[in-house]
Amino acid sequence: MADESLLSDDLLRQLVATGHVDILIGVPTLNNASTVVDLVRAAQSGLGKYFPRARALIFNADTGSDDGTPTLVRDATTDDTGTVSASKPLRTAHRISTPYHGMPGKGSAMRMIFAVADLLSADAVVALDPNVTSVTPEWIPALAGPVRDGHADLVAPRYPRAPSDAPLVTQLVRPLVRAAYGWTLYEPLMGEFGCSRAFATHCLEEPVWGTGVTADGVDLWMAAEALAHGFKPAQAALGPRLLDTPRKRPALPDVFQQVMDAVCACLELHDSYWLPRGQSEAVPCFGTLNGAVDVGPRPDVAGMAATFARDVKALHPVLERILSEPTLTGVTAAAATPSQLAYDDDLWAATVFEFLLAYHRAVMTREHVTQTLLPLYLGRTAAFLLEHASSGPATVDAALESLCLAFERAKPSAAALWKKA
Amino acid sequence: MTQMVAEAVRQASVNFWDTVAMLLPRILITASIVAVGWVIAWALKWAVRWILIWSRFNHGCERIGVTAVLKTADLPQPDVLVSLIVFWLVWIGFLLSGVDVLGFTALEGMVRAFAQFVPRLLVAIVILVLGVVIANFAWRATLIAAVNAKVPSPRVVSGAVRALVLILAGAMALDQIAVARTIVLTAFAIAFGAVMLGLAIAFGVGGGGIARRILDHWFPEHPQSEREEFRHL
Repeated sequence: MADESLLSDDLLRQLVATGHVDILIGVPTLNNASTVVDLVRAAQSGLGKYFPRARALIFNADTGSDDGTPTLVRDATTDDTGTVSASKPLRTAHRISTPYHGMPGKGSAMRMIFAVADLLSADAVVALDPNVTSVTPEWIPALAGPVRDGHADLVAPRYPRAPSDAPLVTQLVRPLVRAAYGWTLYEPLMGEFGCSRAFATHCLEEPVWGTGVTADGVDLWMAAEALAHGFKPAQAALGPRLLDTPRKRPALPDVFQQVMDAVCACLELHDSYWLPRGQSEAVPCFGTLNGAVDVGPRPDVAGMAATFARDVKALHPVLERILSEPTLTGVTAAAATPSQLAYDDDLWAATVFEFLLAYHRAVMTREHVTQTLLPLYLGRTAAFLLEHASSGPATVDAALESLCLAFERAKPSAAALWKKA
Repeated sequence: MTQMVAEAVRQASVNFWDTVAMLLPRILITASIVAVGWVIAWALKWAVRWILIWSRFNHGCERIGVTAVLKTADLPQPDVLVSLIVFWLVWIGFLLSGVDVLGFTALEGMVRAFAQFVPRLLVAIVILVLGVVIANFAWRATLIAAVNAKVPSPRVVSGAVRALVLILAGAMALDQIAVARTIVLTAFAIAFGAVMLGLAIAFGVGGGGIARRILDHWFPEHPQSEREEFRHL
């Protein structure tokens, strides 16, 4: 049962007036004036075109915008040109925008969205990321459809990725989550997703709200929670994921710290599930992926390789306390030849698991453990991009699959050491 | 004349044996105190060592970097070192109590002075240990942050931070036990001041350009349009 103190009296009145909904679209916002209008229009169009008979609510949980985002959400119309749309929904899609006054962050907003879904007995919940500029109306049925049809409790997104796109996901989070939880989830850091009310209610009852797990890593926590508690996972093929360019993007060390803290916290929370888990099972995917899109600038791979060599040398005294001798020898050898940098899959898998164990055992301050992994991650990324500089999408996909299998091979010994810790 | 000499010798002999008779019990008491003290100190040493092993004291010391420092200095493991310190402090206390019983004027007050010295010594040891812990933490934090921020010579920077903290802790510990106070304080002030002056001159003369670039980056005159960077997520 939702904690009704999350919902103000005014909001409760609006929700009671709305009544039961079939689909709830949740949009957590913080200063997204430049993108939220298009997102709401896409959501509205998707509801009208694919769920014309469904009772729907677009619910915006705003965590303190000062650029007028809530007003834009309320006032956004489907069509700004004044032309009449050929198809019209049979039911009104309600729209509520409300401020959230608790702990700032996406975690708090998601909690409110789940509370509203629970109160309104929504059959399907779709959460959208307002930073994404490529949301289309087709994303709504892709994320809500499998839930409404009873095929899934959690629908994660799957995007076409360019070879150099999102290495933090492809090189680290995806293979680690797959090896640990035993599911082939391509996008564990789900920026947008669909879920059932049962899953939303389950999440509300967990005592992690307000802690570091949900404050910085609610997306990953939700995916891990679904996998660890037997909810049916699925993936939906969406289009490319293009992000808005904010004026001030957080620095990579901060982003890396947040992601790693979220991953490690989830693994500690769910270790009774993933430690005995065996080989991975396939997560069904609905829809077809379009071809990969080359998004964003290319990194300076040669520079990254040279920096990796220098950083491994500088961090050697710290790495000695974290890595085993064979792994440290392998990493040092890899760093010795930056011009022909090769950081193979098994070595990388061993590196990540040993860092994970060091984090779990707290051999030093945990923040130091995760920050020490950052240069090695950059080295691995550089090695992968160097190797696949001119590879096609199929070759890259095969290489990423091989990486995931390397993580799965490394897992049993890591699990044995984890139990001893 | 002979009778006077004989009387003097007889008196001296009597005095001697009187002194021996007076001192012997005290010597025996002193020896007993020292022996009992050794036994108690030895028992306490093992009790403390057992408690430290049971509470995984060595593991904690390894985490905070104390074990590595002791190893570098060719000192025993932390639990052994602490138990040895306990042993010697307790036994020296009993030794001085025993010596006090002998009643030698020159040694009077030693027990009181020792009792006043021991707490300051313990505080100095705590300051040193804390200094080592903080120095190691600061060294590691500086090293990792400098590497990730692409600061040149990160090991030199982090090593300097550790050295500064250790020197400060050492000076504070010596000041606590009042050893060569004036010399330590003066030497510390001179060395610290010289290092700061050297850094200021080096940065001011050689780092002007770097400082200008850092300030331009943090406080741009004309905000630049966001240059798109490679995305990791």
